[in-house]
Amino acid sequence: MIPEIAWKNVWRNKSRSLIVITAVTIGVFAGVFTIAVMNSSVVQRIDAAVNEELSHIQVNNKEFRSSSDIKSLIPAYDKVVAEMMKAPGMQDLTGRIIIRGIASTAGRSTGVEINGINAAKEKQIFTLHEKLIPGTGDFLDTETKYNKAFIGEKLARELNIIRYSITEESLKKLKDEKLPGEISTKLIALKGERFTSDKKFSRAVEAVLLPGEYRKYIYLIKEAAWSYRPGSKIILSFIDINNNQTEAAFRVSGIFRTNNDMFEAMSVFVPEEELRQLTGIPENSYHRVIGRLKDNSLSEAASAYLKKELPGYEVMQWKEIQPDLAMLADMMQQIYGIFMGIILAALSFGIVNTMLMSVLERTREIGMLSAIGMNRNRIFSMIMLESVFLSLTGGLSGMLVSGIVIAATSKNGINLVQYSEGLEAFGYSAYLFPTIDAPFFIMTTILIVFTGILSSVYPARKALKLNPIEALRKE
Amino acid sequence: MKVIEITDVYKIYNSSEIKVNAVNGVSLDFEEAEFAAIVGPSGSGKTTLLNLLGGLDLPTSGKILIDGTDLSLLKSSQLIDFRMRNIGFVFQAYNLIPVLTARENIEFIMNLQKMSKASREERSFELLKAVGLDDRAGSRPSKLSGGQQQRIAVARALASKPRFVLADEPTANLDSKSASTLLEIMEKLNHEEKITFIFSTHDPRVVKMAHRIITLEDGKVVSDVRTE
Repeated sequence: MIPEIAWKNVWRNKSRSLIVITAVTIGVFAGVFTIAVMNSSVVQRIDAAVNEELSHIQVNNKEFRSSSDIKSLIPAYDKVVAEMMKAPGMQDLTGRIIIRGIASTAGRSTGVEINGINAAKEKQIFTLHEKLIPGTGDFLDTETKYNKAFIGEKLARELNIIRYSITEESLKKLKDEKLPGEISTKLIALKGERFTSDKKFSRAVEAVLLPGEYRKYIYLIKEAAWSYRPGSKIILSFIDINNNQTEAAFRVSGIFRTNNDMFEAMSVFVPEEELRQLTGIPENSYHRVIGRLKDNSLSEAASAYLKKELPGYEVMQWKEIQPDLAMLADMMQQIYGIFMGIILAALSFGIVNTMLMSVLERTREIGMLSAIGMNRNRIFSMIMLESVFLSLTGGLSGMLVSGIVIAATSKNGINLVQYSEGLEAFGYSAYLFPTIDAPFFIMTTILIVFTGILSSVYPARKALKLNPIEALRKE
Repeated sequence: MKVIEITDVYKIYNSSEIKVNAVNGVSLDFEEAEFAAIVGPSGSGKTTLLNLLGGLDLPTSGKILIDGTDLSLLKSSQLIDFRMRNIGFVFQAYNLIPVLTARENIEFIMNLQKMSKASREERSFELLKAVGLDDRAGSRPSKLSGGQQQRIAVARALASKPRFVLADEPTANLDSKSASTLLEIMEKLNHEEKITFIFSTHDPRVVKMAHRIITLEDGKVVSDVRTE
């Protein structure tokens, strides 16, 4: 009976209630959608880190990470593999030879981490092969007489392997991408020139466009003007197992693009057997064994098992390798709670105001209810439920609107390419696919109910202070 | 059998240094199934006496016993519960719950008493029929005339079969036809349900139908006449 009366009381003054419900709807939508966008960047970053860079579990020689010594190989590799396969949820694993070296082309050189991999095995563990830029080759798949290397776009730019030129074809691409005609007209001034570096091309484009136009369209223009000659040559130099300086020419077999500039700039992948030949590392010897689990949630259990079973090795799960990401993931939950809390606290003032008006308008009625035998708890419950219904109606409709908008935007993503350079420098994608999990909706619903209860305290106290005789005399 | 015993009751208000004796040494008894009117000029203490009888206010001194229970000894929460179970109220301005239908208003107190749905429905139907509004069971108060609302208020007051009903100027806002209908219904229910009715009134029609007329002046009982 009390909930029924409370619900009917909410709709007594429809326009007033609808104003508050709309305010709560907008507030909750703003909060939930903003959090979904923030969350997407973190989730995508973690997914990318696990699927492209780290996987779930890594086992190293104990000295390897601190010394980077080529001789810090995993002793008793077969035993390690056998133990790793017994770890909870272990799906597949692969070994890597990892050495530090320098990648160079004519006039450019940069420090890199050279990974000797088994391409077929890597495809079972990572999704990096899916990040190949179309038209740039393949993921170390084609047999050639040359040494081959799979490198990141950022490294390719550093080594000046990528060229930029405004051609008829690039202008057509830009037209298809809906670049305004006046911008294309300005770019015609650069037609025929070939730029050997990202920097030179950026400067040239900056000179012909206005600053606002440059910031808005440079990413699009670079994408269209981008060109690469398949099979470009790079030199990799490093110290072999006998401490001899070694260098060898590699043909770029393909270029990958991720959202992590640092990873793209530092990582070179070459076939394991080629690196073995060049370094003298014996068969069945690796610096690192990487394991993929059936599910990310098994990381803790698998890591604990391996730490116990492989005491002489360094066992690390992805959260330990990149603690910043793990901390971010944990911290975000708290930030989401605080963020929603602030929004709901602001909304609660509106709810308090409405409830107070509603209570004061019903002074005589509340006096009558008290006179005929409705006790304090029931009066308090009725007002509290009115407040909860008011906030919950707004909250649920806010979450429904958020759900619809999240579903709509998560299909095509939110395009933030204008900020791609900044975002990708920190490993974040320029395309965000808003996402939120069910527990967040549950937490938000609890917060909304709590807001409703809290907002009812002051108006309910006012109602409880009413003297039935005085209240009944009110006009 | 005595339902109410009032012994030497005083109610003194002290506002801005002026002492007002709203009820000034009243002693009265009410028997079961009485149909009594408290009359007197404005400010004579009728409403204050009714409030004291209903446990909405407590006397400054003296005793009010309802079925032997001293109201002044009850805690606030016990008093509310006591009112719910023993006293029916009819107000001058009807005071129905606007968001509930006529039937739901009648069932409201039975609901608070946690009576079963079947018992509630049976009793509300019985009362709606008794007040002649069984065809308006689903109407909200705003769709009913003043007289009809007051008849629903009477039905609500009787819903939980209280020991007595207090009605403060129940006909004050009604036209003569509605007032007569209401009084006839109340007299009939008083007779059928054996429930005591006590009115405060100025209305000569009510006085004419009352079986006992208590006249107050300056908070004192100046006459107590039984007409039956």
